[in-house]
Amino acid sequence: MNRRRFFQLTGAAGAALMASPVRMTSVLEASSSMRDLVRFPEKTEMILLTDRPPQLETPIHYFRQDLTPNEAFFVRWHLEGIPTSVDLRTFRVNVSGHVQQPLQLSVDELRSQFEPISIVAVNQCSGNSRSFFEPRVPGGQWKDGAVGNAKWTGVSVRSILDRAQVKSGAVDVSFNGLDAPPLPSVADFVKALSIDHARDGEVMIAYAMNDQALPMLNGFPLRLVVPGWYGTYWVKALSDITVLPQAFSNFWTDKAYRIPNGPNGTESPKDLAKDTVPINRFNVRSIFVRPDPGETLRPGMPNEIEGIAFDSGHGIRRVEVSTDGGGTWADARLDAAIGKYSWRRWRASWTPGNRGQYRLMARATNSVGETQSKEQWNRSGFMWNVIQQVDVSVE
Amino acid sequence: MVPKKKSTVLVLGLAVWIAGCGRPSNVAKQPDHDMTNATMELMPDSRSDNPVHTIAMPHDEPGFPPGPGHDEFVTACVVCHSPRYITMQPRFSRTTWLSEVKKMKDVYGAHISEDQVQKITEYLVSINGQLDTGQAPKGTYGE
Repeated sequence: MNRRRFFQLTGAAGAALMASPVRMTSVLEASSSMRDLVRFPEKTEMILLTDRPPQLETPIHYFRQDLTPNEAFFVRWHLEGIPTSVDLRTFRVNVSGHVQQPLQLSVDELRSQFEPISIVAVNQCSGNSRSFFEPRVPGGQWKDGAVGNAKWTGVSVRSILDRAQVKSGAVDVSFNGLDAPPLPSVADFVKALSIDHARDGEVMIAYAMNDQALPMLNGFPLRLVVPGWYGTYWVKALSDITVLPQAFSNFWTDKAYRIPNGPNGTESPKDLAKDTVPINRFNVRSIFVRPDPGETLRPGMPNEIEGIAFDSGHGIRRVEVSTDGGGTWADARLDAAIGKYSWRRWRASWTPGNRGQYRLMARATNSVGETQSKEQWNRSGFMWNVIQQVDVSVE
Repeated sequence: MVPKKKSTVLVLGLAVWIAGCGRPSNVAKQPDHDMTNATMELMPDSRSDNPVHTIAMPHDEPGFPPGPGHDEFVTACVVCHSPRYITMQPRFSRTTWLSEVKKMKDVYGAHISEDQVQKITEYLVSINGQLDTGQAPKGTYGE
């Protein structure tokens, strides 16, 4: 019934769905062990977590490219009422609140009246890799694909606030998008940064992603970019910037997206932290992109092991790789850094001697000495950065 | 004859589509190494001739089996989100499902009566639950 309509709506993708092992049907098929591939508008085949509101995960092989293609970039919305149509003739981003000169800016005005800046930056969902936490926690059951790296082009928030002339005594700046709650009782999704953070010259409003307009599901026409910070702050379809003379307060800051106020946001299931703070900067992590888990390699043959590593902007200084389950470690080679907020590619050559099972591991360290966790848990499944293990067979 | 010709066309069409698979239109390029304050020309945007940009979201939500609590579940939960928000979760304990239902009611303001909280919880446990271990994590917020 609905299947036919899905095919009609997605057009050419319908043929792909019929031709490939893609199913969107019964509750059993959609059970948590299945990882269905689907096509949503302007997106390639992605891993389906949820459809309304949509959460789509990027297949790992896309991370073999330094910049994640727009059509493969992960998607995560909170509220059912996501924007599906934007008229650029009437769309404005409103700048108001504790300012001398409120503004209403069209996308054309942002492009033509402000100096463009570009930053290559990783965007990662707070809950990326949530499905690896034990005991399991409720929420989007991501594996490692709720992350991507893109070249963002737009206008610094500082330049916009300067034009609006912020009054003295400003504390926070809040950012709201076009998405809307399904019930009046549900809090609108609004996030805030401190005035100093918003004015750091790097926080920006992006109108382009990898030199193209953003896909609607990634925030067309404008998205807040907060380099080094988790995706929850990267408000999509940004429509309202409000300068506040007091600290911002709402559900999405006071109750949601909080982490234990301790090392690496970790707590015990048996003793939940009472002191929590809003999630903020990325911790250090690395992700294998080659070989695939379960891949079979040949003995005596050189293999290229490859991955990506990133942090909140200090920069990745070292990645070590183990092919014996953590017994011994050797430095991987690092590709040239693209930018401090980009991920950095690492590579290692490995010639397995004997047949058998091998456990590969990779451990990244940044320029201030921060590295990855050996174990980690929190109730919300945030900030996963446990050293990854990939098991392969040599036969 | 006619059916045969038709299937040939279909196979060809699929082959073309599959061949195109590996070359997405938006292939990431080698990035510049000086990104700060770069002056750049935006690549031609296929949408630029149409100021109204619209997408049509697919709609295909999983059906849920009948059982006690099914109707309450559909009425109270599916108003705001797809049933996939249930099916993507691991098999949680009753304690965890109960805390999720209470969170939806008390924190997000879902229209659920106290009576319905129990019915919906039992239904969720019946379709995607497990025996209570007594060590379930409390409900989470956001993700």
